[in-house]
Amino acid sequence: MVGLSIGEKNFIKGGIAQDMRNDGRKRLTYRPIYVETGVIPQANGSARIKLGPTDVIAGVKAELGKPSQAHPDQGKIYIHVDCSPTAEPSFEGRGGEELSAELTAALEGCLLGGKSGAGAGIDPSSLSIKEGKVCWDLYIDCLVISSGGNLLDALGAAIKAALSNTGIPRVQVREAASSDEQADVDVSDEEFLQFDTSGIPVIVTLIKVGRHYIVDATSEEESLMNSAVSISVNRQGLVCGLTKRGGIGLDPSVILDMISVAKHVSEQLINKLDSEIEAAEKAHEDEP
Amino acid sequence: MAGKTGSTPATYSPSPATRKKKRTPIGDADWVRPDNRSFYQCRPAYLRTGAVSTAAGSAYAEFGNTKVIVSVFGPRESKKAMMYSDTGRLNCNISYTTFATPDHGQGSDNKELSSMLHKALEGAIILESFPKTTVDVFALVLESGGSDLPVVISCASLALADAGILLHDLVASVSVSCLGKNLVIDPISEEESYQDGSLMITCMPSRNEVTQLSITGEWSTPKTNEAMELCLGACSKLCEVMRSCLKDAVTDSKE
Repeated sequence: MVGLSIGEKNFIKGGIAQDMRNDGRKRLTYRPIYVETGVIPQANGSARIKLGPTDVIAGVKAELGKPSQAHPDQGKIYIHVDCSPTAEPSFEGRGGEELSAELTAALEGCLLGGKSGAGAGIDPSSLSIKEGKVCWDLYIDCLVISSGGNLLDALGAAIKAALSNTGIPRVQVREAASSDEQADVDVSDEEFLQFDTSGIPVIVTLIKVGRHYIVDATSEEESLMNSAVSISVNRQGLVCGLTKRGGIGLDPSVILDMISVAKHVSEQLINKLDSEIEAAEKAHEDEP
Repeated sequence: MAGKTGSTPATYSPSPATRKKKRTPIGDADWVRPDNRSFYQCRPAYLRTGAVSTAAGSAYAEFGNTKVIVSVFGPRESKKAMMYSDTGRLNCNISYTTFATPDHGQGSDNKELSSMLHKALEGAIILESFPKTTVDVFALVLESGGSDLPVVISCASLALADAGILLHDLVASVSVSCLGKNLVIDPISEEESYQDGSLMITCMPSRNEVTQLSITGEWSTPKTNEAMELCLGACSKLCEVMRSCLKDAVTDSKE
């Protein structure tokens, strides 16, 4: 956490109350988003997102695995966040673990939907290859390179961008003679399938400072927060997940108000992010 | 584990329904819950303070098959390695017994649950009242029967109250599962395993403040409203039960 004097805190608070934040933004404006895709050649898909000084990378790896017994017709998706000590000295050793666990839990809650798979960004049944035998396991690994506030939104955007960049090899199942044997699969190294990423929600974190909410807070602004609510909203305007941080309680009506504000903000964010991802993909393809 | 409440029996026999809520079931009721409850009916709750005599405060809660025990230690001196703090610290830990779930072995998400418990409670505790010291909250899930986290949170706030830690209000927590079109309150494990979404609210009913809220799955605004109202209503009723449990403990010990 950033150490601020009382004077600095009041200055930031005053700015927020007058809808003019320290960096000249309005309360509900995001910092410019910079997207780069295909940054990790070893992964099936990857993306880097910069949001001011915040810098995160997400990589997607797909491996063949065995579906769980509870959901034989679905693949599995794992999310992991790593907070590198390069971002902040306090992340060294086990220091980043708590934040990593918190971010991982929040991302899982916001992106993976319910237990049955409803409301998930990526339909887990699209990862199935042969029911009960083989499926794709999707490992989404995120790395925080530099933390300048609003990590969760940046990570959510990075995952969305990385999944748009992901190509899963086409798989052919050879009909095995006996059905109880391990299924025989042919993994193509030429044909790749793309995900439908239009359903992946974006995460909007609203921070309540005084009576107002702000989005995309800088680390200075985050140190003032009483409470923060992260809401993931998809293109249809449906809430796909919500987590609350900060111990101060909120009135239920305030939370409902925050949800409606988040929905409004998410529309612009989704459009902005989609066009940025498209531009990044184009730039990536044009490269020799 | 003899109760320190004196005359109360030391065994944990589940008492008959101390909490009954019946509202009219929703329209398409062709589906029946596995335990024959109506959609908006919570499981009967059994709560008792003073389950562990060596702890500063403790509580036992039993909601259907979900059985948890929470003990609170402290406030005691913070670890030497910790920096000076003019407010108190709260340390929470949830663990499962190896026989809590049908499949042997512990779940790996205990850390996640522990941090959820921490976030749910910290807003209710007046941390300024015990500077430089730490309060430990240890929860043990004896049997996991669904809605484990809400039960642990409610039980933990009861244990904190029993330990005499200053609180703004008791914290009650209730979750709702979304199954197809239906909303069911206080889901059991079976319902949780095929739920489409869930919503958990932790609140301080007399202050009308939500300290923790988490939603998974797809929710439309009207559904969110409905589920929140349902949870908040159940929370305030649960809080009354918790309050009467605390009062009973005091009157029992006076006798």
